[in-house]
Amino acid sequence: MQYEIRVEGHLGTRWTAWFDGLSITTEEDGTTVLRGFVVDQAALHGLLQKLRDVGISLISLTPVEAPTAERLAPHHEGNRP
Amino acid sequence: MPLLESKLHVPRRRRGVVARIRLDQRLDRDALPAVVLVSAPAGFGKTTLLTEWLAAGGEAARRTAWLSLDRRDSDPSVFWSYVIAAAHKVAPEVGADALATLQLTPTALESVVASLLNDLARLEGDVVLVLDDYHVVESIEVHESMLFLVEHLPTQLHLVVASRADPPWPLARLRARGELLEVRASHLRFSGDETAAYLNDAMGLDLTAAHIDALEGRTEGWIAALQLAALSLKDSDDPGAFIAGFAGDDRFVVDYLVDEVLNRQPDDIRTFLLETSILDRLTAPLCAAVTGRRDAKATLEKIERSNLFLVALDDRRQWYRYHHLFADVLRARLTDEHPERVADLHRRASDWFESDGDRPEAVRHALAAADLPRAAELIELAVPALRRARQEATLRAWLDPLPGEVFANRPVLALGLVGARMGSGDTEGVGELLDLIEGWLGPDRPKHDMVVHDQVELRRLPAQVAMYRAGLALLRGDLAGTIAHGERAAGLSADHDHLGCGAAAALTGLALWADGDLEGGARHYAAAIAELEAAEYFADILGCSLGLADMQVGQGHLRAAERTLTAGLDLAAAHGPLRGTADMHIGLAELDIERNELDAVAEHLRASLELGERLALPQHAHRWRVVDARLRAAHGDVAGAIELLREAERRYDTDYSPKVRPVTATTARVRLAAGDLAGAEQWATESGLSTDDEPVYLREYEHLTFARVLLATGRALDAVSLLERLSAAAEAGGREGSAIEAEALLALAHQAGGDTEQALAVLGHAVTRAESERFVRVFVDAGGPMTSLLETAVRHGRFVGQASALLAAGTTPTPVRAQQGLVDELSSRELDVLRLLRSELTGPEIAAELVVSLNTVRTHTKNIFSKLGVTNRRSAVRRADELGL
Repeated sequence: MQYEIRVEGHLGTRWTAWFDGLSITTEEDGTTVLRGFVVDQAALHGLLQKLRDVGISLISLTPVEAPTAERLAPHHEGNRP
Repeated sequence: MPLLESKLHVPRRRRGVVARIRLDQRLDRDALPAVVLVSAPAGFGKTTLLTEWLAAGGEAARRTAWLSLDRRDSDPSVFWSYVIAAAHKVAPEVGADALATLQLTPTALESVVASLLNDLARLEGDVVLVLDDYHVVESIEVHESMLFLVEHLPTQLHLVVASRADPPWPLARLRARGELLEVRASHLRFSGDETAAYLNDAMGLDLTAAHIDALEGRTEGWIAALQLAALSLKDSDDPGAFIAGFAGDDRFVVDYLVDEVLNRQPDDIRTFLLETSILDRLTAPLCAAVTGRRDAKATLEKIERSNLFLVALDDRRQWYRYHHLFADVLRARLTDEHPERVADLHRRASDWFESDGDRPEAVRHALAAADLPRAAELIELAVPALRRARQEATLRAWLDPLPGEVFANRPVLALGLVGARMGSGDTEGVGELLDLIEGWLGPDRPKHDMVVHDQVELRRLPAQVAMYRAGLALLRGDLAGTIAHGERAAGLSADHDHLGCGAAAALTGLALWADGDLEGGARHYAAAIAELEAAEYFADILGCSLGLADMQVGQGHLRAAERTLTAGLDLAAAHGPLRGTADMHIGLAELDIERNELDAVAEHLRASLELGERLALPQHAHRWRVVDARLRAAHGDVAGAIELLREAERRYDTDYSPKVRPVTATTARVRLAAGDLAGAEQWATESGLSTDDEPVYLREYEHLTFARVLLATGRALDAVSLLERLSAAAEAGGREGSAIEAEALLALAHQAGGDTEQALAVLGHAVTRAESERFVRVFVDAGGPMTSLLETAVRHGRFVGQASALLAAGTTPTPVRAQQGLVDELSSRELDVLRLLRSELTGPEIAAELVVSLNTVRTHTKNIFSKLGVTNRRSAVRRADELGL
């Protein structure tokens, strides 16, 4: 699932690796948008927690219809035993 | 489980702290509500607020229990061990029972919390419990048990929680009741004055009002940001330029400021900070191992002196941690600048923790390094200890996310996952895992492909797999399967593996019992008890003792059951406290009821209730009520009995044991004895039983009850055939108690049908069988018709001795001592008056008889009426008769 997470403040692209490879775009209105593929709900909540833990304020979270799902971050292949 | 003392320490006070009067006033110790919630994002000064508040408290702060939570506390066993330890530290009389319960039955969290709360409720003076960083808890079990705590807080306990997120509790309700004080981000933000006080007074900077304004505006009073700014400003030649640059930049505040701070550090310090940021806790040797630097200790001290967000965790400056916010930013930097180094750093940390003996931390770092083989090895070695400590949640947190391939050639690790899942009541995927493991146990699998680190566990694999398959079968209701696998497990267990043998015997015994084979079940339970004793695994023995006693009673071996239960009490006395001690008393009480020794019943009931729920098995809640109800019914207090039985029905829980004595059937019997035929018939209808039913062990008690209803409602002929079948089945199954009852009822059926001769023959047989083990109640409870039949027997000179004894038992005068059903007992003088109230004597005549004044008699009479709940003499006499006074 592709998501767009909008946060308060300008985050540098140096945070990309920390946020599981999401792309980071600063906006004119003083916010930043993190965008990309999130594998499941647990991963999404993990991301939100990371944002929380560095004191970044959440503004909005939007799922995005993606024509091609680009997997930016490697995740475990294989099924749960 | 070894505890980290540092988690229980109140953190040391920071240097350069600003007094925040308005917040102090908010946290008024004299008006502290039940719950204080400090809820704000990272770096808002939550912990500092609380440590300062405590420091100001002086004497009052003495009784504050502090717990710094971390991610491992998401495991309920770990969490509550620490909470109990924290409370115990400031109030030594608190927590012993809670800890015992937690260790014996880690899943009974409500009992653990209730026990802790009971201890706290007995304290003189208040206790404050501080939980710092509550947001790290992710377990629903912890949240639920904490919710229980919050909803049952005694007045002495004040809960203070610091968190980055509101806990999942009904805060609105607490707010509405005025029981919640909140300190939120808006309160914690530094005001303009406070910012000035912090920067100029505490940090010794010399900033203008405009400077302060700019900083306050940019940081919005976020203290962590102000601290970072202060660090840079201290070293800066031109504070004004720094502030202008900062204010004019639109980067995320912390981003900018941490960069500033890091850029001012010498390269080696900067690298040290980044590399050690992966650690939750730092100590010099660990840092040396991770960074490869010899001067780690000196470096740490330098960093602490520079106020670079290093917090000492103890007084001896051995352990530190970074401020959480700072550490997270450092980690993000590290991930960005040196991604290739991260795994290696974690691996070094993992190795160090393993050599230092902290395996869970070693696992965490191995997983963070994505070094699956290493992590798998460490987890496999950690399993036995975590299993014994019942930390299934920790094991599952590690194992559940691992990819399938890891388990494919690691059968011992796979078994660890099986145990962790089964132990937390989850059977998902367990069958497949067992198949996988068994694949390695066959002769044709190349063993060199297998990866095993725990050879002891490897040898136990075949027996363990069989055990878990038995467990799965039991959960599915496949009794034959349970027995087959259980026997196999017992056979595969090494003789010295007493725990394994015991567990297998108990599981097999349970299945045999549920299948109606009491003899086999009892034999296996007895073996299980012996094995568990040899293994010194006392925690689970009394559950087996209770089951064994129940089976022995079912077989009619009352003396053997008594020996079993008494042995259980002896064990508890020697190795106590043991869960199930209360149940031993109830079991003995039940035996005494069968033998009609009602005084002894009351004694055991009292002993059991004194021990309380924490030393009781799940069955206890309904079984003690049933015993109490039958006792009251025997003394004529039917209303009291019914009320207890209703409560018992609500709490009916046989744990894993077969449901052979549903409370509803007992209630029907009590109603029958009281003459409430309608109530009893309603039960009969709802039970769905019919006279055509084939007897089946699990419904035997209900069928016998049904037969009693038939007899009482004039359908004796219908009862005969059913009773004959029940009798035959009980005989075949070796269930003596049921056989006696069936025969006794059959005798009544014959009598009702007019065949007295047959009735006496059958009854004589039953009475004789009942004699050696002293079954009495089964006859007494059969009421009027049985009394008549026994009298008839005596008249005809048949089994006179036994019949007379049973008749006497049915009319045993209630000892005056046990005035059941009265809140206030009558005094002996009042009893004297009562005795005379029964007669035709008038008031003055009674006074003359007792040699007291008429006024005295009137006073006594008034008290008697009040205690008996009546308003006239005739009612008083009638009520007294009911109560057996």
